[in-house]
Amino acid sequence: MVGLEIGTSKICVVVGEGRPDGTIKILGVGQAPSRGVRKGEIVDFETAMKCVHEAVVDAEQKSDVMIRSVYVAVAGSHLQSFNNRGCVMLAEDRDEIDERDVEDVKINAREVSIPAQNAFLHSIIQHYQVDGQDGVLNPIGMLGQKLEADFHIIHGVRTRIQNTIRCVKELPLDVEDVVFGGLASAQVVLTQHQKDLGALVIDMGGGTTDYVLYADGAVKQSGCLALGGDHITNDISMGLRIPMARAEKLKIEEGSCTLGNCLPGEMILLKDDSGFAGKEIEREMLNTIIHLRVREGFELLKRRLEEEPYLSYLGAGIFITGGCSLLSGIDHLAGEIFEIPANLAHAQTTWGVTSAVEDPKFSTAIGLVRFAQVMQTDRPPRRLGRIFGRLFSGMR
Amino acid sequence: MIQLNKNYSLPDALAESVPVKVVSVGGAGLNALDRIVLDGLEKASVVAINTDVQSLTSSVAAHKVQLGRTRTRGLGTGGDPELGFEAAVESADEIREALTDTRMVFVCAGLGGGTGSGAAPYVAQLAREAGALVIAFLTLPFTFEGKRRTAQARGALARLNEIAHSVICFENDRMGDLVAPQAGIHQAFAMADTTISQSVRSIVNLIQRPGLIRIGFDDLLAALRMRNGRCLFGFGESDSDNRAHDALTQALKNPLMDRGRMLADATNLLVQVAGGPRMTLSEVEVLMQELGRHVNEQTQILFGAVVDGKLGDRLTVTIISSLAAEEDLIPQSRDGGMLSNVSAQQPVREQHPAPQIHIEPESAAMESVPPVESIPFEEPLAAEATPAAAYLPTEPEPLPVAPQNKAAWRKEEKLPTEKSSPAKQEILQFEPVTRGRFEKSEPTMEEGEDLDVPTYLRKNIKVK
Repeated sequence: MVGLEIGTSKICVVVGEGRPDGTIKILGVGQAPSRGVRKGEIVDFETAMKCVHEAVVDAEQKSDVMIRSVYVAVAGSHLQSFNNRGCVMLAEDRDEIDERDVEDVKINAREVSIPAQNAFLHSIIQHYQVDGQDGVLNPIGMLGQKLEADFHIIHGVRTRIQNTIRCVKELPLDVEDVVFGGLASAQVVLTQHQKDLGALVIDMGGGTTDYVLYADGAVKQSGCLALGGDHITNDISMGLRIPMARAEKLKIEEGSCTLGNCLPGEMILLKDDSGFAGKEIEREMLNTIIHLRVREGFELLKRRLEEEPYLSYLGAGIFITGGCSLLSGIDHLAGEIFEIPANLAHAQTTWGVTSAVEDPKFSTAIGLVRFAQVMQTDRPPRRLGRIFGRLFSGMR
Repeated sequence: MIQLNKNYSLPDALAESVPVKVVSVGGAGLNALDRIVLDGLEKASVVAINTDVQSLTSSVAAHKVQLGRTRTRGLGTGGDPELGFEAAVESADEIREALTDTRMVFVCAGLGGGTGSGAAPYVAQLAREAGALVIAFLTLPFTFEGKRRTAQARGALARLNEIAHSVICFENDRMGDLVAPQAGIHQAFAMADTTISQSVRSIVNLIQRPGLIRIGFDDLLAALRMRNGRCLFGFGESDSDNRAHDALTQALKNPLMDRGRMLADATNLLVQVAGGPRMTLSEVEVLMQELGRHVNEQTQILFGAVVDGKLGDRLTVTIISSLAAEEDLIPQSRDGGMLSNVSAQQPVREQHPAPQIHIEPESAAMESVPPVESIPFEEPLAAEATPAAAYLPTEPEPLPVAPQNKAAWRKEEKLPTEKSSPAKQEILQFEPVTRGRFEKSEPTMEEGEDLDVPTYLRKNIKVK
């Protein structure tokens, strides 16, 4: 099983195999710096394709596996989500709910209007209700007349998702499925117990911040904010008037979102380089720029999540993953803004190439492998080519 | 010492225009007085007043008054202001006698000790009763001398503020700024004396010198009018090629000036420029222009110019002003070490305007007697002035110039017909805001804001 994430700053391919006990073994990780991708979406097709190819070749070499098909993560601000309830009445002559009814209710739940150019990406079951009885996890075999189901539906602009798929198919590789990046990350960052308690996963990557909120073991809110590490780098570059590459390096090596943590007048010396005269930068200034940007992102996210009441049901807290989570102090800042304890997280319940597992940058790609594993155990007979309009009842 | 006799025997005859007396009270005052005499003060007579006979005898002053012959029997007060006060009361007649026939009295004292804190207010009072204009030159003790001494000093300062026509107060803590960190402690103390000496001499000169544009008593009073005010004083002297600039820089560098920043709030500013016969008008112009950048438009500048043959190639600038006492202004403008102390002492000062504080013999041991040594006093000052000279003038320059340029540019370039205030134009940004590397990508619009524009720009938070 292979997970491919076309990120804004890097493309990574994770090759893994599922174990019978539900864990994943990572066989190899290939990555390549990403070009032609902005805010999680491909803007330069040719360049992006080359980069994907590079990453895939890298992964093949490292894992010694021939890659034929992949699970692809998608992101982008066009992704939207909502919760909807489907309802079916059983035929008069029977009162036992069977699989057919469950399929029907899923289809029913999807019968809502989404913009014409949009396509369904995921429909994730939250709960079933049988004759008004709440919190039913598996209604098959139960007796009742009315079956209702709450679904969390993620949809996005069809053409934009297709761009990503096309990029992979031209290589040529088969696309087994497309998965919302945040959802994939959550699969490996959270344990089932944490999902039950309630948790918020914030995957802060280069171009986007994906978030998935779990409560009572089900996805309640999800989305994608086109705001990421690139913005921080851009701010630094403009604020301190240094080149982007320098700003990126400075952010990674020296950046912090904690304010008031440095000596007054503490300077960072940037060595001169070809095409760049050396410069001294005030550390407080750097941190202020980062802090303002990250704070704004979190505040925005908080306002989005506050549209529904689930934020106060987070028993397990906030889990920050993705490349930006490596920024020092980001967990404290998140904790301060959301007023919920925040942790840094990376892929759990996996083993193999540990350096990859422990790096939050690979959470999404590893999550894809995990996603694939769940998919395959749930419904072995896959029908290739039907990417859209598929219902993933297995994802909880 | 013998040579100096000439100096202090002359003044009585010379000071025919305004009889001026410099009176020092207490040990620190005596040190300052010695410094004044040694530096040469021709147009004023000096009087040394102290309880301690020993320091009196070693003083170079011609006229000496011993306080409290029976009360302290020729010894010091041991840091007790009350004793100092009583001693002064005892010798009131002698003091009065010494202060007769003057129109202007400078009272120099180091506050914090017994005689300085206790007797100086009383001496000032007697001088005022004698009909003289009283200007007090005071030093406040170093913070490390202890809180009690600071409290005594504050008490005396409050009292002198009421009595004297004007108070010019130097904080010893700030003197430390002028001395290189490696310099010995005697230099730090000596610096206080030097500063007092400089200011006394420059004020005396200010009044006594026959000027081209004369500065009189009235001008001085106007400049120092603020009761309970914070006095700004700066004195600079230079004989370099760029002497006008250097002298001003040096004057602004004075610890009471805060690099000229304090001048912005002054309402009256007295400036005297003195130089030898070769002082040119353009030099004065340059100097005044430069000074003009530090003051705001409403400030009344009382300007005086003097040509004095004795100055030779030197050019001196004296700046005097005062600020209204703003409680919040004072702690801000003072240095860190003093800060907590000042605010802590503030209530004390208000509750006990008189220095009569209960007796506490333990603290008696320390009397602030700075050692007098002959040190090349001008040198550290001059050495310090050089780096500042390079730094200072560049700093204030852009401030007044830049907005003018901008406004002019705006008028020409943008909206010649439209009449709107420049402030309004500042807010309106017609040019597309920068989005950096996201220039070509779809903007991330969220709640009406383009998130690709750096947060600090949108929130108007200044970096750099």
